[in-house]
Amino acid sequence: MTPWLRPLMRPGDADERRAAILAWMIVLQALCALFFIGDVLADLRAGNDDTGTHLWLEGSVALVLCIGLGVLMYELRQLLMRMERVTTTLRAARGEMAEVIEGFFADWGLTPAERDVALMILKGLDNDSIATVRGRAAGTVRAQSAAIYAKAGVDGRTQFLSLFMEELLADPD
Amino acid sequence: MAGTPGGREGAREIRVWDPLVRLTHWGVALGVLVNSALTDPDGALHEQVGYGVLALVVLRLLWCIVGPKPARFSAFPPSPAAALGHLRAMLRGERKVHLSHNPMGALMVYNLWLTLLALSATGIMMGTVTFFGVDWVEELHEAAFGWLMFSVALHVGGVLFDQWRTGVPLARAMVTGRKRIQAERLDG
Repeated sequence: MTPWLRPLMRPGDADERRAAILAWMIVLQALCALFFIGDVLADLRAGNDDTGTHLWLEGSVALVLCIGLGVLMYELRQLLMRMERVTTTLRAARGEMAEVIEGFFADWGLTPAERDVALMILKGLDNDSIATVRGRAAGTVRAQSAAIYAKAGVDGRTQFLSLFMEELLADPD
Repeated sequence: MAGTPGGREGAREIRVWDPLVRLTHWGVALGVLVNSALTDPDGALHEQVGYGVLALVVLRLLWCIVGPKPARFSAFPPSPAAALGHLRAMLRGERKVHLSHNPMGALMVYNLWLTLLALSATGIMMGTVTFFGVDWVEELHEAAFGWLMFSVALHVGGVLFDQWRTGVPLARAMVTGRKRIQAERLDG
């Protein structure tokens, strides 16, 4: 995967950027709110009568800043909760997928060695790479994958993969 | 690449600290560093940084009420009993990992917040007409500062120790927001 594609491939990152920006806004706005509240308090203590409008203005600014702060915090909380939900759902889907795969393997009666090979096929390794990883001859792996395809009732790698894609894309009901 | 489908076993990255938690944490750390080592204690900058730190602490406390789960008070209630239990489990050599603060870390967090609030309160009092130059306020401010330094040392030591004990890179988690945790060690 090329580096510039990565942000597109992991949509979670956009949300994370948004959350970070919101958090920065909240912190900066809190400091601004503090400044205005402090100013209002100082003016009140000084107790000058001729600064009435000035005081009102500053007070309103402080109030608006605080309300904005509340809105931003609510917004960030919603965003974080949504991110959490997405992660959980994805993890559940992934976990279920693993079970689906295991279920298929069991149905077909794959041997432990064949399971390993089948899994590597699913992960996109070609026969030569699988042979290297497992430290077996390329011929052995070829024979094993042929056995896997036969047991699964498909005529090759593409059909084998599409079996699982089907499962992933199928409606939950 | 062995027969475990989906890469479910092994280390898992879990999002624990949201950006606001991290920002306030490092903001407070920076403020404390600046005010303890760099600013003139009688200067205006010292006061302003102090107010800034207070704002961050208050913001974090608000976030403890309205924030997401791991940031909330309910994720790490202050409980000396739980802390003792954690200590005993640690001595027994158990290596359970906690998603939010562990019970002893939680006590430290409350200690740090209370100390910072006490520092801010006495600091603000020193600037008021009523308490200006009053000895006990100044002494309290200095005592709170000493306690803060002690606590910070303990906090850093505790983090390093726990990092070594559980193998979870905690300091890194406070930067990236994610804890890398062995799935089987997870415990709340």
